[in-house]
Amino acid sequence: MAVIEWIQFLAGAFLLLFGLVIFVIEMIGVFRFKYVLNRMHAAAMGDTLGIGFSLAGLIVMNGWNFTSLKLFFVIVFLWFASPTSSHLIARLEVTTDEEPEKHYQKLAMQDVKAYGAGQEANCAEKLCEEKKAADSVEKLCEEKKAANSVKKLCEEKETADSVKKLCEGKKKNVAAGKEA
Amino acid sequence: MGNGIPGLAQAYHGLFAVVLVFLALMLMLCLIRAIIGPRIADRIVAVNMMGTMVMVIIAILALMLQEGYLADICLIYAMISFLAVIVLTKVYMGVYLERKEKEEKKNGGH
Repeated sequence: MAVIEWIQFLAGAFLLLFGLVIFVIEMIGVFRFKYVLNRMHAAAMGDTLGIGFSLAGLIVMNGWNFTSLKLFFVIVFLWFASPTSSHLIARLEVTTDEEPEKHYQKLAMQDVKAYGAGQEANCAEKLCEEKKAADSVEKLCEEKKAANSVKKLCEEKETADSVKKLCEGKKKNVAAGKEA
Repeated sequence: MGNGIPGLAQAYHGLFAVVLVFLALMLMLCLIRAIIGPRIADRIVAVNMMGTMVMVIIAILALMLQEGYLADICLIYAMISFLAVIVLTKVYMGVYLERKEKEEKKNGGH
């Protein structure tokens, strides 16, 4: 039994600490983003995922009883409540923002589509350029290789020639010795 | 938690203490965000985050002290913090729109 309880403890501790890690990520996001509508993404993550993992860990530690059921109800309630409150806060921000053009851009649907098409065209162009660059690099490599192989051949030929010369010189020497 | 098994009760206690201290530190950071947040929505988001962390703290205390009713308090805390966000946003939006309407009337009158 002791082993099972230790396993229960370790699994629960893992989930609880994972929830804490999510809270830390949320905190970093909330401090590093520049505007409320961006910050809300990070904040909403902790509301659902962070508390979900933390309470799941506590449920695993607690086992099957009514306290676990209540904690599960908290998770389920937050799944519904967190998106609703995020939506309300976003609407408040959009309604009361006096200078929205400083913070964000309002787009109509056709603008979004045009933007998407433009992005696609840009992407295609970029890909083409990258392909071309890669091709030219390949060509350069091949040329270099060809040049290198030519050089090697030349060197081999030269060495062969010098060897031949040496041989001939030796032969002549030998012949001269015989004649003498 | 972990009664009768040597070491397990201490392990539970240590884990819960560390997690509680850590959550308290993050609560302080949330408070800083609520104070410096330039817009009203920043403050509401920060208060909402604080509510979430307090819920985790209450749930941990429910297990640490072996008091099941603290889980009920956790559930009610979640509902009240959700209600607080709704009321704050609605009230603030209403006040803002009313003020704007008044200003427009003033400008139209002159």
